[in-house]
Amino acid sequence: MDGQQVFKMLPVEEAAELLGRGPVSSLPYYDPDRWELERRAIFMRSWLHVGHICEIPEPGSFIRREIEFARASLLIVRGKHGDVQAFHNACTHRGTQLVDEASGKRSRFSCRYHMWTFGLDGALVSAPDFERFHAAKEDCSLKQVQTQVLAGMIFINFDPAPKQSVREFFGPIADALEQTPVARAVDFTEWTYEIEANWKTSFDNYQENYHLRVIHARTGRPAMGPENPFGYPTSYGFCGPHRSQTLWKNPSPPPIPPIQLMSVRRGAALAEKDGVSFPKSDFKLFPCLHIVALPPNQFSHTHMPLGPTRTRGQIRMYWTSKADSASRQFAREMAAMSVRDVLAEDRPAIEACQRGVSNGAIDKFYFQDHEILLRHLYEQVESRVEAYLAERAAAGGAQ
Amino acid sequence: MSLTERQLPAGFDALEPFVETWAISGTAARAQRRNESSPEERIAFYEAFKDLAERALTQLDEKPLERLDDQERRLRDLLLSFAHVALAVELQGDAEPEHAKLRQELRITHAPAD
Repeated sequence: MDGQQVFKMLPVEEAAELLGRGPVSSLPYYDPDRWELERRAIFMRSWLHVGHICEIPEPGSFIRREIEFARASLLIVRGKHGDVQAFHNACTHRGTQLVDEASGKRSRFSCRYHMWTFGLDGALVSAPDFERFHAAKEDCSLKQVQTQVLAGMIFINFDPAPKQSVREFFGPIADALEQTPVARAVDFTEWTYEIEANWKTSFDNYQENYHLRVIHARTGRPAMGPENPFGYPTSYGFCGPHRSQTLWKNPSPPPIPPIQLMSVRRGAALAEKDGVSFPKSDFKLFPCLHIVALPPNQFSHTHMPLGPTRTRGQIRMYWTSKADSASRQFAREMAAMSVRDVLAEDRPAIEACQRGVSNGAIDKFYFQDHEILLRHLYEQVESRVEAYLAERAAAGGAQ
Repeated sequence: MSLTERQLPAGFDALEPFVETWAISGTAARAQRRNESSPEERIAFYEAFKDLAERALTQLDEKPLERLDDQERRLRDLLLSFAHVALAVELQGDAEPEHAKLRQELRITHAPAD
């Protein structure tokens, strides 16, 4: 299924009429109390992308992920039968963290403190002098966090009983994702950064092209032309809480400089040899995952909140085969670094935007029609916070 | 140049002067070297390599990576640094010094050619 076809794609005017116009409150973009509501209403009960199965290829392979907004350290483990499960990285005896390494491979996890030992399935296998606890071993398994895999990506959910499976949550987008390289990735290039910005301020930068000709005057040149001086997308689409855009195709882009052209050609030839074929598509997935498929390459960009005005960005470019030749290594190095060159340019403007907002003097934001995707995210967040407050009120104020 | 002195496979003598500075292992280290380099260094490396890059890749592709000898591995590492330098020269031009500061915040944590 074409990545764009699963969204109902509309010309900008129709999309704007659908979602409405007018300014929105700036408060959700800086206020600590509001962030706490979003944390509870959204992040503590949404499916969040935290890794890829290629990072844990064999039974016993594990990765550790720190999820700061939940004050959680997670141990994501490949089980004996290939299953993937996340556990809190904490011994059930008295909570000692089990693993310090970022990744590795083990057959069991033993606590450094009193040697309680757990299997790959989280079950307590042994504990010295366990009789004196007068407890049942089956009650002492590692604490699980809901874990599901879609298109090779590992998603976790802190809600112990999520209302939807990850596949239900993404609906028809799930099938489209399965057809992109991430679904059969065996390796990736990754870079990360921390930014002084609310997670929506950070994500929003990648939801509009209005800034293209100012911030990316040089690197963004191929995406703009006399017919479309702002490089605006040609359509916008929505699918539940998720959204998409269709990038404009420049009919007469500037010539690609020689070494970049050599790299693009070699990369394209190798992708063809690997049978990598997928449509150009853009997935802005709720709450904070952005997947860009620009054949033959694909990257994901996660905007993980660390606090009301701090976010960690993680970009991964996924590869469907091992880099087994010099040309593959070269084409991948160049493709990844050229994306990094472009994305590096956004940071000062995003942080300046946050600094200008955080005292509340700018009490509302003006979104133009081509900032429709920002409005959609704003509304999706708003509706979830409202629903959460209603639930809390119905429960008599209990949290 | 005698065989014993040669750092790179035959036919790439013009690149010998760049081995010490640019034959670097690891994507993050190559990105760092780009950031620390001078415009003159980048131009000299780019000009020396641009007409040899196709041939270098084609020649190295004849062997699986694990069978590359030391000279070929150095040429491969040079090529990978060349990818970074080509972006500086072809894409960033005069803006490269300012751009280097922005890239510094984006830490490379994993790459297939590490």
